[in-house]
Amino acid sequence: MQLTLSEDQTQVLDSIDSLARPYAAVPLHDASFVLESAELDASLVENGFLDVLAVDELGPVTAALVVEKLARLPFAVEAAVSALVRPLIDLELPRPICLVEESRPGAPVRFLRPGATVVVVGSSGVSSFTAVQDKIAPASHDTPYAYPVAFLAGLPDTPTRHEVDPAEVLRAWRVAVATEAAGLLGAALASTVSHVSERRQFGRPLATFQALRHRLAEDQVVTNSVYWLALRAAASGTAADAALALLHAQEATKRVCYDYHQFLGGMGMTLEHPLHLWTYRLKLLSAELGGRADQGLAAAEALWGK
Amino acid sequence: MQFEWTAEQDEFRRKIRDFLHANLPQDWEAFSEHGPASPALTAFAREFCVKLAEAGILFPHWPVEMGGEGLGPWEQQILAEEMWIAGEPRGGQYMNVNWIGPTLQKYGTEDQKRRYLEPITRGQSLWCQGFSEPDAGSDLASLRTRARLVDGNYVIDGQKIWTSYAGLADTCFLLTRTSDDRKKGITIILVPMDTPGITVRQIPSLIGEGDIHEVFFDEVTVPESARFGEEGQAWEIVAYSLRNERLGIPRFTLARAALDRAVQMLGEQGRFSREYVRIEAARCAALCEAAATTNYAVVQRRADGRTIGAESSSARYATVMAERVVCEFVVEFLPEVLAGASPYLKMHHQRGIVAGIAAGSAEIQLNIIASEVLELPREPR
Ligand SMILES: Cc1cc2nc3c(=O)[nH]c(=O)nc-3n(C[C@H](O)[C@H](O)[C@H](O)COP(=O)(O)OP(=O)(O)OC[C@H]3O[C@@H](n4cnc5c(N)ncnc54)[C@H](O)[C@@H]3O)c2cc1C
Repeated sequence: MQLTLSEDQTQVLDSIDSLARPYAAVPLHDASFVLESAELDASLVENGFLDVLAVDELGPVTAALVVEKLARLPFAVEAAVSALVRPLIDLELPRPICLVEESRPGAPVRFLRPGATVVVVGSSGVSSFTAVQDKIAPASHDTPYAYPVAFLAGLPDTPTRHEVDPAEVLRAWRVAVATEAAGLLGAALASTVSHVSERRQFGRPLATFQALRHRLAEDQVVTNSVYWLALRAAASGTAADAALALLHAQEATKRVCYDYHQFLGGMGMTLEHPLHLWTYRLKLLSAELGGRADQGLAAAEALWGK
Repeated sequence: MQFEWTAEQDEFRRKIRDFLHANLPQDWEAFSEHGPASPALTAFAREFCVKLAEAGILFPHWPVEMGGEGLGPWEQQILAEEMWIAGEPRGGQYMNVNWIGPTLQKYGTEDQKRRYLEPITRGQSLWCQGFSEPDAGSDLASLRTRARLVDGNYVIDGQKIWTSYAGLADTCFLLTRTSDDRKKGITIILVPMDTPGITVRQIPSLIGEGDIHEVFFDEVTVPESARFGEEGQAWEIVAYSLRNERLGIPRFTLARAALDRAVQMLGEQGRFSREYVRIEAARCAALCEAAATTNYAVVQRRADGRTIGAESSSARYATVMAERVVCEFVVEFLPEVLAGASPYLKMHHQRGIVAGIAAGSAEIQLNIIASEVLELPREPR
C-alpha cells in the first residue's frame, strides 16, 4: 500500500491547478443554473489531461485524480466519462460523451448536444451514435442540475456497435461518477465550511454551534471516504469496488445536500451563491445508474454472488 | 379519539375540490410552475381570490364579526390543504387570510382595519413580510432596520432580505428597531410599498422566479399612524402571527400528493414493481403521515382553544423530515421531473426544499423542542 501521490501525479494536479485557476471562483453575481467554459474544455484537451488513463506511467488513478480535481470547479466539465470510460470503448470518440442506460432512455442526459457522442449501455451490449439536433429534446430553461442536460427524443436504428463487455463499461461508469462525486462533495464541503465560519448569528460564528459542528464533521468523514473509495475503485478495477464507491457516494450525497442547504439558510437558495452548482450536480448523480439501491445490488452480487 | 373527518368536514373539502376543479384552468399544472410570487401567479390570484370570496371560501374560518363564517381551525386546515396541494392558486394571498387578517383584527387600529381588511376580503391585496435582514436570520432579534420618529413621521433606514412577494406587494409588514432593547426595541410598521425610498431587488433563486428579494429602505417616511401596535410590541405580535403562519402551510399534504404522483409515474414506466422502490416510497409515506398526525395534534390544541407552544416546532420538524425524503425519493428515481418531465413535481421540489429554512430553520425548531418539550438543561453560555 502506498497512498501518497507520486511525483507525476503531483505534477499533473499542479498543472491542472494553474490551468484552472481562472475558473476556480465565480463572482457572486454571475452564477446561473449552468456554468460551462469552452476555453477551459479546450485547454484540458490540448494539454492531454483527459487522456492520462492510457499513459503508462499515469494510468487510472491519475485519471481519477484529474476528474476529482476538475469536479471541484464551479464550471461543469465533461471529464469523468472522457477520462475514465472512453478509453475502454474507443479513444477517438468525439466529446462530449454522454452515457445512457438502455433501460432508462427517458432520463436526463448530461452534456447532450448536437455533435456529442451518445453511448448506450445495456445487457444487449454497447453502441454509440452522434447526437443530432432533431433527436434532442431540450430540458426546461430553469432545470437546476447545473450540468447542461437534455433528453433523447429518439434512438437511431443503426448505431455503431462496440466490441466491449457492457459489464466493464458499467464498472468504469460507476468509477467515473463516484470520482466526479468525490470532487463535488469536496467543493461543497469547502464552500459550506467557509460560510459557517464567516457567518455570525447570536453573536458568534455559526460554526461554533455544536449542532452544526458534528453534522459537518460527519459530512467530512463521508466526503473523505468517498474520495478514497473512488480512487481505490479506479485502481483495482473490480466490479465490487466500483459499486461500493458509487453506493457510498450516492449515500453521502443525500445527507450532505440536505445538511449544506440547511447550513446556508436563505443563502443556499440563491443562484448567486455557488453551492447549488455542486449540490445539484450531486443530486443528478445520485440518480445515475438507478441510484443507491442498484449500486447496492451490484455490490452485493460482486461480493457474495446472486 | 376519532381519526375520521366529520361528514360536514368531508362536505367542506368536497366543496373546495369542486370549486378548484371548476375554476382552475386546464393547463393549471404547467401554469403553477410559475412560482407563487411570480407576476403570472400573482395576477392569476387576483382573479382567483375574487372567485373564492364570492364562493365564500376565501376566509370562512374568520370569525363572523370579521365577515367570516366562524368555521374553526379544522376547516382552515382543510382549506389550506386543498389549496396547497393544488399548487397554492391564491399565490401570496394565503398569508392575508391565514395571519395578516387575524393579526390586523387583533392588534390594528380602527383606521388600519378599515384600510387593510377590506381589500383582503375582496382578494385584492398582497403583503410581504419584512422580517429577516442580512445579519438577522435565525437571530431575528438582532435586526437593525431603524425607524426614527421625526415630527409625527417614522423615517426608516435599513435593509431586509429573502422577502417573499416584495416585488409585487402593496404593503410590507415591517419589523423595525425603535430602541436598543433587543426584543422590546422592535416595532411593526405597515409600509405601503410605493413609498418613495424603497428599492426592491429580486434575488435569482432555485425556487422559481420572483420569490425572494432584497428590500432597501432609504429615508422612507410614513406617518406615525402606520405603526402597528405599540412601540416595542412587535415581538409579542409576531409570536402570535408566526404561530398562525407555521400551521398555515400544510406542506405534508403536498409532499404526500407529490409522492403519489411519483409512484404513479414510476408505475407507468414499469418501475414500481421493484421491491426497494416500493419500500422507499413507503418510508416516505410513513413520514408524510407522521407529519400529518403531528400537525393535526396542534390543530386540535387550537380547536380546543389551548395555547400553542413548542408543539408547533415538532409539527414543523416532522414536516421537514417528510419533505426531505420525498424530495430525495423523487430526484433519485425520477430525476427527469426537475428537467421538465413533470411541472407538478418540480413545483413540489421548489416548495419542498425550503421547508427547513423559511419561517425559521429546522435546527432552530430542534433547539425549541430540546428546551421546551424535553426541557433539557441549556448549554452553558
Ligand atoms: C423561500 C424563502 C422565503 C422566505 N421568505 C421570507 C419572508 O417573506 N420574509 C422574511 O422576513 N424572511 C423570509 N425568509 C427568511 C427566513 O426566515 C430565513 O432564511 C431563516 O430564518 C433562516 O435565516 P438565515 O437564512 O439567515 O440563516 P442563518 O440564520 O444564517 O442560519 C444558517 C444555519 O445555521 C443554523 N443555526 C443558526 N442559529 C443556530 C443555533 N442557535 N443553533 C443551531 N443552529 C443554528 C440554522 O439552523 C441554519 O441551518 C425566507 C426564506 C426562504 C428560504
